[in-house]
Amino acid sequence: MTEHENTQQDLHDELTAYLDGELDAEGVRRVEQRLARDAAYHAELRRLERAWNLLDRLPRAAVDERFAKTTIEMIAVAASHDAEAVQDSWPRRRRRQRLWGALGLVLAVVAGFGIGHLIWPNPNQQLIEDLPVLQNLELYYQADNIEFLRLLDSENLFSDGETDHAG
Amino acid sequence: MAVSESSAQRYQLQDPDVRLMLEVRDDSAAAFDELMLRYQNRLVTVLEHLVGRRDQAEDLAQEVFLRVYRARKRYVAGAKFSTWLYTIANHVAANALRSLSRRPEVNLTARPNESGGTNALDRMALAASGAMPTRQLDKVELRDVVRAALAGLSERQRLAVLLNKFEGMSYADIAATMEMSPQAVKSLLSRARVNLKEILEPYLQDGSRPPSN
Repeated sequence: MTEHENTQQDLHDELTAYLDGELDAEGVRRVEQRLARDAAYHAELRRLERAWNLLDRLPRAAVDERFAKTTIEMIAVAASHDAEAVQDSWPRRRRRQRLWGALGLVLAVVAGFGIGHLIWPNPNQQLIEDLPVLQNLELYYQADNIEFLRLLDSENLFSDGETDHAG
Repeated sequence: MAVSESSAQRYQLQDPDVRLMLEVRDDSAAAFDELMLRYQNRLVTVLEHLVGRRDQAEDLAQEVFLRVYRARKRYVAGAKFSTWLYTIANHVAANALRSLSRRPEVNLTARPNESGGTNALDRMALAASGAMPTRQLDKVELRDVVRAALAGLSERQRLAVLLNKFEGMSYADIAATMEMSPQAVKSLLSRARVNLKEILEPYLQDGSRPPSN
């Protein structure tokens, strides 16, 4: 945009804002001062105003009763479809709720099992740990000296390769 | 849109249409009827000059009212009601114009005329040819010339002009409706006024035919 065009654009912006009542008091004062002394500026304002006022010749629509009636009917149909869509979404929502419920139940069972396992240890665990002792019980009776057996155990002589501690 | 409590209350106090819309939000059918009665002619007028056809303007206005109804539960008093309504209308019209632009047979200046069946440019060509007994600017002819001049503006200029001229909207309200800055609206309206002047002035001076689009 050339400087001249820029100036013209500024001039038209200013005159348009003046005609539209969008200038502040200082802007209005500046425009009116120039209008009073610049005939070309004044003539341009009149041309812009005259073209703008011709827009009053444009026809205004006046719709008939049919418009309101068909609009209301259209909205009633849309509202009915919306209501149906909401109803249709209910089973889906219920299915989703059930799925989440089932998932929650599974998680609760798993969590409960873990917590229960921590609180109440497996009663067979002690038997499993004592299995090597039970298997050699007859031999231990023959030793008749618990300190001697502990000494043998500390030397790993009871280890059978699967358990390294005989108790 | 985030709206402060104070500005919502201000719009509610100042704009009776905002109060009606809040009743529509609460499912008042009577309030919706009232709003429609208040705006149907204004909306169809703006849309007709935007898209160039009355029947289509009515269809689009119905679409706008339908969107208002569907958006009622989300409505917040964040602006004047007319600003909110014409923001919706702007989107609806823009979609329609995009569709129209894909159909080469549609021409905004070549719409049928209710009074005679010929369009503005035909009338102007006839006038310029001297075939008319007298070249008086009768009301119908002048109206068609102005309509053709308006149609000669860009889509955005046309909307800004219609909102400013017919709806009396301020630059700030037009800016909110068209989702642009008030400064941009000022420039848009300035260019629109200059374009209208350049199209209409020769016709007013000596009956010269405005350039066709």
